[in-house]
Amino acid sequence: MKDPRLVPPTLVDAVNELARSSSLGFTFARADGTERHMPFSEIREEARRRGAHFASRGLVKGDRLAIVVPDPDEFVLSFLGAIFAGVVPVPMVPQLSFKNVETYHDTVAHIAEASGAKMLLTTEATRPYVEPATSRIEGLAKSPGGGIMTVADLSAPISGEPNVSIGGDDLCFLQFTSGSTSKPKGVVVTHGNLAWNSQSFMVHGLEKDSSFDKGVSWLPLFHDMGLIGFVIGPLFTNIPVVFLPTASFVRNPRIWLDTIHKHRGTITYAPNFAYQLVSKRLKEKDVESWDLSCMRRTGCGAEPIQARTLREFADKLRPAKFDPASFIPSYGMAEATLAITFTPLGKGIRSDRIDPKDREDAKATPSDAPEAHELVNCGRPFPDHEVAIVDEEGNRLPDRKVGEIVTRGPSVCQGYYQEPELTAAAFKDGWLHTGDLGYTVDGEVFVCGRLKDLIIVRGRNFYPNDLEWVVSELPGVRRGNVVAFSVDGDGGEELVICAEAFQSEALGLTDAITQAILGHFSLNVYKVVVVPQGTLPRTSSGKAQRRKTRQMFLAGQLAQAQRVQGAVEEPSPTA
Amino acid sequence: MNRTELLALFEATATEVVEKPFKNISEGTVISELGIDSLGMLEIVGAMERKLKIQIPDESLAGLQTVKDLLEAVEKRITASA
Repeated sequence: MKDPRLVPPTLVDAVNELARSSSLGFTFARADGTERHMPFSEIREEARRRGAHFASRGLVKGDRLAIVVPDPDEFVLSFLGAIFAGVVPVPMVPQLSFKNVETYHDTVAHIAEASGAKMLLTTEATRPYVEPATSRIEGLAKSPGGGIMTVADLSAPISGEPNVSIGGDDLCFLQFTSGSTSKPKGVVVTHGNLAWNSQSFMVHGLEKDSSFDKGVSWLPLFHDMGLIGFVIGPLFTNIPVVFLPTASFVRNPRIWLDTIHKHRGTITYAPNFAYQLVSKRLKEKDVESWDLSCMRRTGCGAEPIQARTLREFADKLRPAKFDPASFIPSYGMAEATLAITFTPLGKGIRSDRIDPKDREDAKATPSDAPEAHELVNCGRPFPDHEVAIVDEEGNRLPDRKVGEIVTRGPSVCQGYYQEPELTAAAFKDGWLHTGDLGYTVDGEVFVCGRLKDLIIVRGRNFYPNDLEWVVSELPGVRRGNVVAFSVDGDGGEELVICAEAFQSEALGLTDAITQAILGHFSLNVYKVVVVPQGTLPRTSSGKAQRRKTRQMFLAGQLAQAQRVQGAVEEPSPTA
Repeated sequence: MNRTELLALFEATATEVVEKPFKNISEGTVISELGIDSLGMLEIVGAMERKLKIQIPDESLAGLQTVKDLLEAVEKRITASA
């Protein structure tokens, strides 16, 4: 792979270059409001020191190091330390509060095992939550000291510096995807992929300007959008960033915008749900105290984007001089490093209203009808990259025909770590098959949903998102707590809707859901299952998992949850 | 603030955040059975922190199972910051 023109060829070169020539750095805000600022030169020095520690523990170039470190500063320094030593970091989700402990241990064990990690790095505070899982992992158990170390171990003085040569084709880290599929898979991300994608989104996409741009992010660093979008991309392109702990944002969403106001942040990104959370929680007096005219790049990605959510956010923040034209709806995925398409700067939200009837026939026909579906334009691919829409046989489709979104270019990764079959299924002749359904209009991409989740009832195509949104609007159902999928019935696929509701409101909801789906889509619901809140399985980023919900439904586990809680009436077939 | 008052505060805060009435929560109630997802629980914790002017470190939230566990973590911070 040739090197990109506008950024250094590897992350190591990028950090070395910053240490030589940049006066900028990263600022880590802590939960208690204090901040730690580190110039890039200091970050490099500390990363090299940590790299020497990893080398002294016997880790050599190519060895995998699992990292379970919730503190953003400790995470970034340790992650870069591994990379300076040629060691391949495997970022892992720290235990989230109030979640099932066994499920968490299973995830830790699976990722450590699948990555063949030789060592696991954590913190003293997090260690008790990780340790029960590590004894189950063969690769770790064989390492000296049980294969577990904490960031406190990295503070001891050490002599020597890591001395490994690293090129663009070298593996940089393994990004385990939280996907709505079964088990997380490790995407192989090379230095070259990161260089190319950083050039794409920071330079071509955001047109970054190091003389005044500043990122603000609370995104988790074990996910691609937080890690590549706000750590790696800015390191390749000399952009300062202020990091907030993810949990601080969730507890108090105003911290995000407060930090942007205080630090005059210009670039931020978040998934759709975060914009919704802010709109819901903000008070008028918060808005009055802010001047958010500095926000010139307000990105949205990582999950389906709802135009309505972003409009609400913009309305709410108008008194703070927020500019809706700064919105950048984007599309991407870990298998393409991070970003695949961006909308042009300064355009804000542009959407397409399409006819739901034609949608059932894999066509996206514009419509002004009130029942039209609104989809957000996610823009076009970057220079040196391509996007196409293909049918099941791989034939390219014209504009406004719905098919699978495929992409190729130097940001597309080589595959999944030690998963040849899964790799062959998704990466074909240089094209990444995203598994997402979408269409183009004049080269700009609209995403309809996941291919595997498509529901086909009597020859009509339905997107679970569409069905779920309609159900979410019903009183008694919270947005995001609905899952639609199909099961095999006598005459083909049949629709099942699972919704979470409170006991007090569950009664009558089955009928309301059936009526809503019938009214909006002229579609019969085979079964409605109303379960208590918290029942539906979710990914580490909080998205409801459709396939897992379907498995639970088929295994009778959803009905069981209902009985235990004694919540509602039996689900009744309505077909 | 005693335990009964704390429990009432938790009930009121949960009702506010989730916009649904919560009644008959006891200390023995298992959090995962309340039907509030972890995002919602963190929102509730955040709202309680603001009301009580305390900060609960993330790591003391990681192992919590019951409402009693949570109230104890809150109590510990009140004592610590008093």
